[in-house]
Amino acid sequence: MRVAFVGKGGAGKSAIAGTFARLLARQGHSVLAIDSDPLPGMAFSLGLDRDDAPLPDEAIEDRPDGEEGPRYRLQAGLSAAEAVERYAATAPDGVRFLQFGKIRTDPRALFRSQLAFRQIIRELPPEQWDLVGDLPGGTRQPFTGWGVYAETYLVVVEPMAKSLLSARRLARLASAADTPVRVVAVANKVVEPDDAERVASRSGLEVVASVPFDRSFAEAERAGKAPLDVVPESEAVRAVACLVERLTHERTGVTS
Amino acid sequence: MKLAVTGKGGSGKTTTSAILARTLARRGHQVVALDCDSNPNLGISLGVGDDETERLVSMRQALDEGEEEHAPGWDEVLDRFGSDAPDGVRLAVVSRIDNPEPGCL
Repeated sequence: MRVAFVGKGGAGKSAIAGTFARLLARQGHSVLAIDSDPLPGMAFSLGLDRDDAPLPDEAIEDRPDGEEGPRYRLQAGLSAAEAVERYAATAPDGVRFLQFGKIRTDPRALFRSQLAFRQIIRELPPEQWDLVGDLPGGTRQPFTGWGVYAETYLVVVEPMAKSLLSARRLARLASAADTPVRVVAVANKVVEPDDAERVASRSGLEVVASVPFDRSFAEAERAGKAPLDVVPESEAVRAVACLVERLTHERTGVTS
Repeated sequence: MKLAVTGKGGSGKTTTSAILARTLARRGHQVVALDCDSNPNLGISLGVGDDETERLVSMRQALDEGEEEHAPGWDEVLDRFGSDAPDGVRLAVVSRIDNPEPGCL
């Protein structure tokens, strides 16, 4: 399965994506969690105590003259799968985590790492690895090549005016994309009984999960801990588990 | 005074900016509120509504796509890319000029 979480800043993408990745791994999938935000935030919800995981310089080289493609690439002989095995951080439940460095990194190093990161995402065999991506908030990155791996874009939407407007914009950008993609909504921090319905009608997207506002989940985030470790029985974690179940079921036709 | 409000997504930049702008306006300042976000929502928090916010966004988009001319000065920016918000705040959705025409700059 290959999914990308998008949405307005602060909607809850990272918290849901990290929880989603680990629950998917518990079902026996090999999961690579990818954070393509230069201000990364996914690692905490995976249960890691670092927030970046760039490829080391030794993994990347200049592309030889005459070879077609971007300026930097993985070292000759290093496949995408090997790069993940060797360099991706290891989170609980066996989830591997890749990010490309932070915005304050030296720009050249950041660029090298970004190109190798994109190469890995492009070349990693889909039959071996599931991808769960956390994209930066807002509308700038999602449909400009950073989410190309995704079979399904999950727009995380709070039932609030600005979040709903961002979701509408993302839905519009998706429909204008060169390749048609599946875009659905995850209603988050839901309080009122009709909130999920509001998200559906205002965003124009199918709502595939409704995650309740959950104080214990928020507390875990506040402490920078993975909700799955701190409050595994919380309603919000359960709702994410239902989402994993639903998407897995859609793909295989089998309920695990 | 000139203020810029920054921070992580969802931390409250837009809401804070809107309240600052309208509070200053109510105290008698002439206030221009600039939305420089790539996902601009300041209109919502200032109270101009969804439709007007989207209208300003689409104008900036037309500019970015080269269908609209850049404004040569600040007054024309506010005039052409702006909208009146409550308490007399003038809102404009603006962007950096990333691709100036050849011969310019």
